[in-house]
Amino acid sequence: MSAAGSGRALVACHAFVGAFALFAAAALTAGCGGQTGSDEYPSRAITIIVPYAPGGGGDTFTRAIAAQASEILGAKVFVENRTGGGGTVGVGSVARAPADGYTLGFVSSSPLVMAPNFLDVPYDPVQDFTYLSRFIVTPHPVLVGSGSRFGSFADLLEYARANPGRLRWSSAGINGAPHIATLAAFRQEEIDAAFIPMQGSSEVLAGLLGGTIDMGVISDYAGPLAAGDIRVLAEIGPEPLPDLPSVPTYQQMAYPLAPTIFFGLAGPAELPGEVVAAWDAAMRTITASDSFSSIAHRLSGRVAYLDHQEFQRHVLADIDATREALRLLGANE
Amino acid sequence: MESILDGISLALNFNALAGILLGIVLGQILGSIPGLTAAMAVALLVPFSFYFDPWVGIPMMLAMFKGSLFGSSIPAILLRTPGTPAAAATVIDGNPLARRGKGGKAMHTVLFASVFGDSFSDIVLIFGAGVLAAVAIRFGPAEYAILVFFALLSLISLHRGSSWKGVAAIAAGVLLACIGLDPITGSPRLTFGNAELFDGIGLIPMLIGFLAISEVFRQLEQPVRRLAEKTITFSSLPEDNRLSGKEHRALLPTLFRSSAIGTLTGALPGLGSTVAAFIAYNEARRTAAKPEEFGRGSLHGIAAPEAANNAVGGANLIPLLAFGIPGDVAAALILGALLIQGITPGPIAFRDNPEPIYAIFAAMLLANLVNYVVGMGFIPLAKKVVSVPKRLLFPAVLVFASAGAYAMRGSLFDVQLMFVFGLIGWLMTKHDFPPVLLLIGFILTPILERSVRQTLILAEAADGWLAFVASRPVLMILLAALAVLTVLVVRQRLAMKRYGLPEEPVDSS
Repeated sequence: MSAAGSGRALVACHAFVGAFALFAAAALTAGCGGQTGSDEYPSRAITIIVPYAPGGGGDTFTRAIAAQASEILGAKVFVENRTGGGGTVGVGSVARAPADGYTLGFVSSSPLVMAPNFLDVPYDPVQDFTYLSRFIVTPHPVLVGSGSRFGSFADLLEYARANPGRLRWSSAGINGAPHIATLAAFRQEEIDAAFIPMQGSSEVLAGLLGGTIDMGVISDYAGPLAAGDIRVLAEIGPEPLPDLPSVPTYQQMAYPLAPTIFFGLAGPAELPGEVVAAWDAAMRTITASDSFSSIAHRLSGRVAYLDHQEFQRHVLADIDATREALRLLGANE
Repeated sequence: MESILDGISLALNFNALAGILLGIVLGQILGSIPGLTAAMAVALLVPFSFYFDPWVGIPMMLAMFKGSLFGSSIPAILLRTPGTPAAAATVIDGNPLARRGKGGKAMHTVLFASVFGDSFSDIVLIFGAGVLAAVAIRFGPAEYAILVFFALLSLISLHRGSSWKGVAAIAAGVLLACIGLDPITGSPRLTFGNAELFDGIGLIPMLIGFLAISEVFRQLEQPVRRLAEKTITFSSLPEDNRLSGKEHRALLPTLFRSSAIGTLTGALPGLGSTVAAFIAYNEARRTAAKPEEFGRGSLHGIAAPEAANNAVGGANLIPLLAFGIPGDVAAALILGALLIQGITPGPIAFRDNPEPIYAIFAAMLLANLVNYVVGMGFIPLAKKVVSVPKRLLFPAVLVFASAGAYAMRGSLFDVQLMFVFGLIGWLMTKHDFPPVLLLIGFILTPILERSVRQTLILAEAADGWLAFVASRPVLMILLAALAVLTVLVVRQRLAMKRYGLPEEPVDSS
């Protein structure tokens, strides 16, 4: 019995160590904010659902926000990764959460603006959410390898027009905003190019450097650009790149889609006013902090804060514009 | 030279050493819990690196990955439950050896092979990163497709059981891997409208189901009185609980070959340690003097996958340091931590700011040493944990397995899947279908499908097939090698028939 007893104790101990390590990590990540205990929001721990795996850009930003928000709001803020369906599963669980402000979610362009046009998603991006704040926009430039024959975007278009089906290009993820916007641009230019579907920006970058593809549209360009491995020919968003203002944008070239790829925070529809007010104040402080902008800089994002009212309007307009552009293109059949 | 010494001194201060020690201990513990991968643990750590001194945080992360690969093989050996997918191949020979009372020997083999594989690939990384990276970057989809064909061929050459049952198992694995979003068109496939299936079936619930839960079902079949028996008994003979000098030396050829396989796999982004482990296992068995020992507790069968999966870790940093391209999740997390610290990996870092890179090298070599020492202490502890009656241990396995399957995606659906696969795995083993072949089919299919279909689009964009092949020298070399291997495999099969070698089922029990 004593052997069994000590064995059992060891099993328990084993479990305890594992659970403790996780708990400690989670608790420390969330910071050590005390609980207020009153009826005022927040009176207990808040969970932010990240619909992607740990370690990605969205996850890293959300964890940084959670740590600062727990100090400002005086409640624990946990981050939970609920992946699946290219982000649509996690976003769907935010839509179905109680509208009390204790379950919020990280949201980005793809599951809100793009995915509903191509997939059956478990939410309605127009009606199911309260959009709390936008905090980051990421540029997605059009890149070529440094040994490429294309000196400018015009060169590339000229080659592609003269050689139908020969230009090989890719972006991180199928039916994402960079893919669709570039497809729309090519259609307007009457260009037939070969899209090689790839998973993630590192595969695209490897393809560019190894000569498997001629052109890539990804956000992680700062490192290879500094190393002289790539050149930037265009930017798909509406605003010029801060470090390369002379590079043309899809907006300047009057292409049908010039998407702003954003990261933001949202909750279920009809969140109480005090919740919205609390997060407006907290997010304004966080996005203005030096530590947040230095994280943004290192992850090739740009801090671009919008409060609840502006963000809500912005997302809804974005959804409408994208749907209309896709309808005209007939790309979502 | 000065920058090398500066780098080493960065890694040799007390804080960095503490980080390494903590990383190894946490890594071994977390790795040994099914479903908790090192990547998840490290991802939780990344936010800390905002606050930590970088020379505590980064060595700690590197150490966690190394520790977890060793830790994950402990439950693979003792409980048939790999702590992470990378240890799945270790089950095949590790568990039979443990059932013969030689669990101690199996764990010592794993520790030696893990540390050997780690050190091998770290040294290749330090001295050969530039050259290897220059070759690896020439590998496009066509080359990847050929590599997976290599793996499938060696698989076919190995399976000696009933042919149709082997093919059926692989086909089932391929079919299961097709569930989810189509990798080329992005439309859902075989999901029956279920959003939970959009990203496909998770490898972790599948592995835990097929290996651990099916074992729980098997135990349920046993007469009740046997449930009071100890799960695993350890022979008290000292030679069954250690690895002799002679055995160390006998393993060396396998270790070198497997470490080389792991290093090459790691240098190619996206293949991963699980694939490396299976390829190395197959190679070890193909070239073994006594292939009949494989599947029954061969030390070579334990050492090969373990050396290979650890070797992937160091080699994954090759594309990262050469081009800033992370080879897998582990490397992506390390990239994230480096970026947060203001270090951009790549050729620029070597030129302008090499000290951190040399410090990383020093920390990696040091972590290997610490991994060995801590592992020596972990083995007796692991023995005590499993030395409990089955009636206590298997319910605990059930709880851990469910928690592990849930933790990966925070999804109860994955727990249900795990039980379904457990049932299927139990039935398959009962009727001599090899579950391991199903798993390998499942693991290899996504890479094969994606690279073949990408190649088809690329060839169409080139001036026909011949022009496409002629434009890729690496592809030409690989195609020639594939042709040679095909001839060898066919001759081997014919020889087996001619000499009437006894057919044996792939033993996965």
